[in-house]
Amino acid sequence: MKKMKLSMMAIAFIGTLVSCGKKDNTTPTPPPSVAVTDSIEIPFSTNNYALYSFKNKMRVTNSDSATTKWDIGIRFVSIILNSHASGVGNAGVISKNGIYDSYLTAPETGYAYDTTAATPAINASFTNGWYNYNDVTHAFSPKAGLFFVIRTADNHYVKMEITAVNYAGYTPPNPTPTTLIYKFRYSYQENGRNF
Amino acid sequence: MIEICETLKMPLRYIFIFFFLCPIIVIAQENTNDSTLKLLDEVVISGTRTENKVSNLPLPIEVINSKSIRQSGSQKLLEILQMQSGLVVASNPLGTALQGYPNPFGEGVQMQGLDPAYTLIMVDGEPLTGRNAGIINLGRIATGNIEQIEILKGTATSLYGSDALAGVINVITKIPVKNKISLNTHYASNNTLGINASANYIHKKASLQIFASRYSSDGYDLDKNIYGKTVDPFTDYAFNSKLLFPWNDKNKLTISARYFSDNQRNNYLIFPQSEPMIVNGNTIERDKSIFAKWQHKINASVNYFATLYTTAYTNNAAVFLERKDSLYERITLDQLLVKPEIQFNIGKDPAALFIAGAGYNIEKVNSSRYSSTKHLNSWYTYIQKQFHWKSKTNIIAGARFDKNSLYSAQLSPKLAIAYKINPSFILKGSVGAGFKAPDFRQQFLDFSNSLIGYTLLGARELGNGLLTLKKNGQIDNNINIEPYLDGVILSPEKSVGINLGFDYTMHNNSVFKINFFRNDISNLIETYNLPFNKINNQSIYSYVNVNKVFTEGGELVASHSFEKNFSISGSYQYLVAKDKEVVQKIKDKQLYKRDPITNETSLVSMSDYKGLYNRSRNTAQIRLQYNNILYKTSAFVAVKYRGRYGFNGLNGFQNGNDILDDPREFVHGFVLANATITKSIGQFTEVQGGMENIFNYTNKLQMPYLYGRGIFININFKL
Repeated sequence: MKKMKLSMMAIAFIGTLVSCGKKDNTTPTPPPSVAVTDSIEIPFSTNNYALYSFKNKMRVTNSDSATTKWDIGIRFVSIILNSHASGVGNAGVISKNGIYDSYLTAPETGYAYDTTAATPAINASFTNGWYNYNDVTHAFSPKAGLFFVIRTADNHYVKMEITAVNYAGYTPPNPTPTTLIYKFRYSYQENGRNF
Repeated sequence: MIEICETLKMPLRYIFIFFFLCPIIVIAQENTNDSTLKLLDEVVISGTRTENKVSNLPLPIEVINSKSIRQSGSQKLLEILQMQSGLVVASNPLGTALQGYPNPFGEGVQMQGLDPAYTLIMVDGEPLTGRNAGIINLGRIATGNIEQIEILKGTATSLYGSDALAGVINVITKIPVKNKISLNTHYASNNTLGINASANYIHKKASLQIFASRYSSDGYDLDKNIYGKTVDPFTDYAFNSKLLFPWNDKNKLTISARYFSDNQRNNYLIFPQSEPMIVNGNTIERDKSIFAKWQHKINASVNYFATLYTTAYTNNAAVFLERKDSLYERITLDQLLVKPEIQFNIGKDPAALFIAGAGYNIEKVNSSRYSSTKHLNSWYTYIQKQFHWKSKTNIIAGARFDKNSLYSAQLSPKLAIAYKINPSFILKGSVGAGFKAPDFRQQFLDFSNSLIGYTLLGARELGNGLLTLKKNGQIDNNINIEPYLDGVILSPEKSVGINLGFDYTMHNNSVFKINFFRNDISNLIETYNLPFNKINNQSIYSYVNVNKVFTEGGELVASHSFEKNFSISGSYQYLVAKDKEVVQKIKDKQLYKRDPITNETSLVSMSDYKGLYNRSRNTAQIRLQYNNILYKTSAFVAVKYRGRYGFNGLNGFQNGNDILDDPREFVHGFVLANATITKSIGQFTEVQGGMENIFNYTNKLQMPYLYGRGIFININFKL
């Protein structure tokens, strides 16, 4: 019985993967946005932000922090954007509540940015940040229905959703894991604002 | 079976010791003429602050009498309460976060779906202080000296003030009525040893009682893979004394004193820099109180009593690094309450009295997590009128006014009506307003976490705390803290409670009771983030009134005495408890869930939402009591079912909202069963043997307070 359940789950899982792929291929709006599912593993405790480029689908070294090569940076649960207080780029963000899949066009204006180091555009606080913190299991669970519409450092548009934050190197009862694994998906649009 | 035999060897040794140590103690059996369950005619004091028969009160009130307590053989108040109808043991979920570490917060009783912090715990009508995260350690009350436990359900703030939102548990201790010496010994699994002795001395009209108890246990370990025990060894001492001195026909003086001390060993692993280190230490909890009461009868229809209650509570926890033998952490809490009170009772009919009272609370608290000693003064006054209307209707109307130095004045009225359709069928209904004052932690906490670096400030402490942080360069100079410097004035959490039901008695040996309840609570205090961070990018938190919740349900109690010596009682509670804001968000289509496998999000529907965590929709209980006079033997069986309940993050489940909306978040229901056999040997001695948690249910993560199957043996002497 258990086995059957598992295999059914596996089928369901594969099914969604396939249907996702199909959807991407048949997106009617030209030119198509690029759909990416990625994950990055960052140290649990560090002073450096892990910088990420949506265009290149990869991390950017910290030596490039003073360039527009990166769009967002993550440290623990804090997220910064490459503009104003945090970088030289023109990045901005709109936090959206809704269903990621059915969000189709990024607006032209209304993007927030990090005004100071202590007042970032993306709220990462325990009680009303972008995640729920469970003080019993210590899990950070990205709030369902919350995603980010982002203008990149070089003025392209992305919709991005963090789907999971997992611990790694975590051996209970040691409360301190060594790394955090961020799983996220996004659509990157090179031309225009439609996803 | 082998296990049980092994553990039995130990008690036998102690039993023999006792037989040899106490051969002179010859015991007179107490007159046990109350061999049927008295469900309706018990006299209680909690419902009205005057003595009243349960059947006269339009309130849901239950009594656990000393006979039931004695027959159960249990030495733990929590265990006695958890087998009771509608009461559920609730841990502070934070305690279970410690993954096998002893839970520093302990467990309390959930009543009508409300957390332990919302039930007032009293001993002889005076409140216990020293709540730890809202929970009072019920181990502080020794069971050997209890006359009865009165459980009043529904808001009782109109009489007792703050904290009595869900209801009141009032433990009434024994009154010395004749010369008596008794000695009770208890030995149970985990090398648990309990001894208590009491002596009553009557001289002319004066009477004196002295009670002493020692209770210790080696604790137990539910998870051998984790260093340290689940419950560490502890030793408790309790002393009570009571002096009743009837000056003359019109004046009576009562003086009582209570002392409790618990020494709990601490031994666990910590991970200061991800490298494990062992810490050792002790948590010492002390509770002392003195109570004096002067009763004066002015004339046949007017009397008053003046009381002075003083209680001091201290909790001192210290752990030391084993390797370096240096102090790792010390947390202290000292709390003092002085409470003078006066109450006038006017009227001749005890079921139709007018009472008026007033009192003053002087509270002082100091903690290693507060910046300085904090004071809280409040005064209060209350009135209540109990009266009959057209012979069939019994009405209680009352109100209490509380004026506090820290928050706005509170007026808490209550109205309760009973209507006798016929002598065996009584309709009962009550509605009352209640409140719970913001606790000291929510007002005064000044705590910075050294490991992660966040800061938590009580609402009153906010301004001071922020100034200190700024002065120490922990807040950026560009941030304007001006708007926060005045602090936030927290309002008390408020409730309106409604209870409706009936009592039906059949042939004098069956009772059937139903009570429906609804509690609407607003202004619940929660933590929130300030909109800016510290220099280290960590948050600053404080407290604010936000949430609104409700609990509602029904409770059914039925009991039947087959003959004088055999009775059975059963109960069932249905409970729904929800967060009103969550309900509104679902209505507004603003609340989503994420499938943990596919990561797709969708809206939460109203039927998905199952309510607050840690509430069982269904609980039920059965109790059997049997007496065999011929063989001087009695049997007591109690069974409790707790239905499934939600646990946030169970088995690592998460779906991106903080609400109970998925079957994978439920802890399975379970059954606890206890059985005890008591046999009188000769006239003076009583031997009891019992088994607790017969089905050996354990859950080391969610319910670490449940040890598996255990046995105990008691030997009681009376003279």
